Amino acid sequence: WFLAWMGLEINTMAIIPLMAQQHHPRATEATTKYFLTQATAAAMILFASTMNAWTMGDWNINQISHPLATTTVTLALALKIGLAPMHFWLPEVLQGLNLTTGLVLSTWQKLAPFALILQISQNTNPALLTTLGVTSALVGGWGGLNQTQLRKLLAYSSIAHLGWMIIILQFMPALTLLNLTIYITMTSTMFLSLKIMASTKINSLALAWPKTPTLTTLIMLSLLSLGGLPPLTGFMPKWLILQELAKQDLPITATIMAMSALLSLFFYLR
Amino acid sequence: MLKILIPTLMLIPTTWLTPKSWVWTTTTAQSLAIALLSLTWLKWTSETGWSTSGPYMATDPLSTPLLVLTCWLLPLMILASQNHISPEPINRQRSYITLLILLQTFLIMAFGATEIIMFYIMFEATLIPTLIIITRWGNQTERLNAGTYFLFYTLAGSLPLLVALLMTQKDMGTLSMLIIQHTKPTNLLSWGDKIWWVGCLLAFLVKMPLYGVHLWLPKAHVEAPIAGSMVLAAVLLKLGGYGMMRITIMLDPLTKELAYPFIILALWGIIMTGSICLRQTDLKSLIAYSSVSHMGLVAGGILIQTPWGFTGAIILMIAHGLVSSALFCLANTNYERTHSRTLLLTRGLQMILPLMATWWFIANLANLALPPLPNLMGELAIITSLFSWSPWTIVSTGLGTLITAGYSLYMFLMTQRGPTPLHTISLHPSHTREHLLMAMHLIPVLLLVLKPELMWGVCH
Repeated sequence: WFLAWMGLEINTMAIIPLMAQQHHPRATEATTKYFLTQATAAAMILFASTMNAWTMGDWNINQISHPLATTTVTLALALKIGLAPMHFWLPEVLQGLNLTTGLVLSTWQKLAPFALILQISQNTNPALLTTLGVTSALVGGWGGLNQTQLRKLLAYSSIAHLGWMIIILQFMPALTLLNLTIYITMTSTMFLSLKIMASTKINSLALAWPKTPTLTTLIMLSLLSLGGLPPLTGFMPKWLILQELAKQDLPITATIMAMSALLSLFFYLR
Repeated sequence: MLKILIPTLMLIPTTWLTPKSWVWTTTTAQSLAIALLSLTWLKWTSETGWSTSGPYMATDPLSTPLLVLTCWLLPLMILASQNHISPEPINRQRSYITLLILLQTFLIMAFGATEIIMFYIMFEATLIPTLIIITRWGNQTERLNAGTYFLFYTLAGSLPLLVALLMTQKDMGTLSMLIIQHTKPTNLLSWGDKIWWVGCLLAFLVKMPLYGVHLWLPKAHVEAPIAGSMVLAAVLLKLGGYGMMRITIMLDPLTKELAYPFIILALWGIIMTGSICLRQTDLKSLIAYSSVSHMGLVAGGILIQTPWGFTGAIILMIAHGLVSSALFCLANTNYERTHSRTLLLTRGLQMILPLMATWWFIANLANLALPPLPNLMGELAIITSLFSWSPWTIVSTGLGTLITAGYSLYMFLMTQRGPTPLHTISLHPSHTREHLLMAMHLIPVLLLVLKPELMWGVCH
């Protein structure tokens, strides 16, 4: 666990100067917020792993078995990636960054915590994971409805997608990985296309059609895919996740997740 | 099945590679050839009911008429769009045709699907090209609102369907239609099962549309360009009916009690939407509400689950598809000339465009279900089976027939008879293309009088 904590701290340290490149006050503010949240989360991870080592005598990552320790670690990792109800930092931080750094934050930064999450997935509290997942999907959907800034929109979409990933963690971690991979691909597409068009608000997107019609079609398709419409690829993780949930006799959870996908779809469509 | 799918997909390279002046001609000709090829499906030889099967797709007497209707409509849609698209740059015209072709492919795969999940995916997939057609090529500013209504109504209904289907797959082990028709009836008693039943049907009822959830339809129809309206009215609504007929096989015996509120909604909707038609000023809106009314009758016929009800439903779906599409084309001819859909502005057309008046006459007579046209066959079958299910339904169906006759005649008289307003004297005469379009819509209707067995489907 110690090495994992060190890795996470180095990760945070490395990305701080990248985020603070732009000498804009909003960028500095975003950097500070990010640093604070990530440091808190890392400290909590250290605390939880020490507690586990103290009570169970085990430093191994996948044998963290003390219930308080697992809950703390899950919550800390959730804070790191931005799951609700610990998501409040994500929209503002993302807004303060330029698009490339935002891309790195949403995709690469999620990989490390997810690696840890996958490793502890057997011992986690199912109710906690389900609550985190459903709350994230709903918050991601509702929060994004009133946004016009594209970066905040993508932040809320990230929260919603992370919710989907977490909820299937307890049943089939392979699906979490699949969802993560597809999400990374789709979000990278979105960020890179937005960078090419240099637009950060919905209004500037509306003017994109005459400039680059092909790119606009691509953006539309990738937005619909993020929303999870068949027959685009974005539907596949949602379908498989719903299937797994149905197999586990959790139709209500499945329905709630499906309906919250509708909320996200609404703000994608704008 | 592949014989039809691959030429349809190959239409896409055709549109993008043909030189500019030949695009419309080649696409129309090729899609017409595909439509004629699809007529070979109508020959029913197999004993089990399913023929021309591949690993995932097959046709049976229930899906074949709808498939042929879909294939028949593609050349008609391309013909109809020719005029209003021509001022646009060529690449946009090509993308429009590509969208129509994509929609066609998804529809063929939906009607031909044997796995219910494949049907579901194609059902959802048809939403995307339709949404793009409505929002990108529609005519008024309200089209964005219409597109949103369309997408969200349909999706909100169909996401529970996905969950319900996945639960079914867990319980029954398969979702193939070939196998489900032979499984034992499941014991469905608890509240959770009742919610499952609603989940299965809700998507199709929204698509039909049922009276309570029909708000997306008039918006979508009015804002869509002509090809969009045609395909919406003719085929996409029938997707709902077809889905319902397939799903009800596995929904017994719950349907006997649970279907009551929906049947009542359907029957009440016939009268209500019919009456709305009588007070409409917008021509396309009138035809849209008449669609809701006919589909209410179809929904009633399917929900009571009798053989005559199903037969009537299929016949009415096919006949309504052709006639409704014909009416939308006629409304579009008016729209292209006056750029307005208000009924009052296009009165007295019989003096100026007499041949078009003939088509108006036949289409309106078909809409009000004149014997011996197939519209009447379908309506009569449904009304009789509803009557034998409960004698009280004759009140609403009889009244509904009366009101349908009322507004169809109203539509005819308003547009054709009466004094010709002075501003319409200088309208363009009818193009041959428009006459061809109307003929190709209405001649199959007339021919189906002679051999209705082609449409009757499974129950004869």
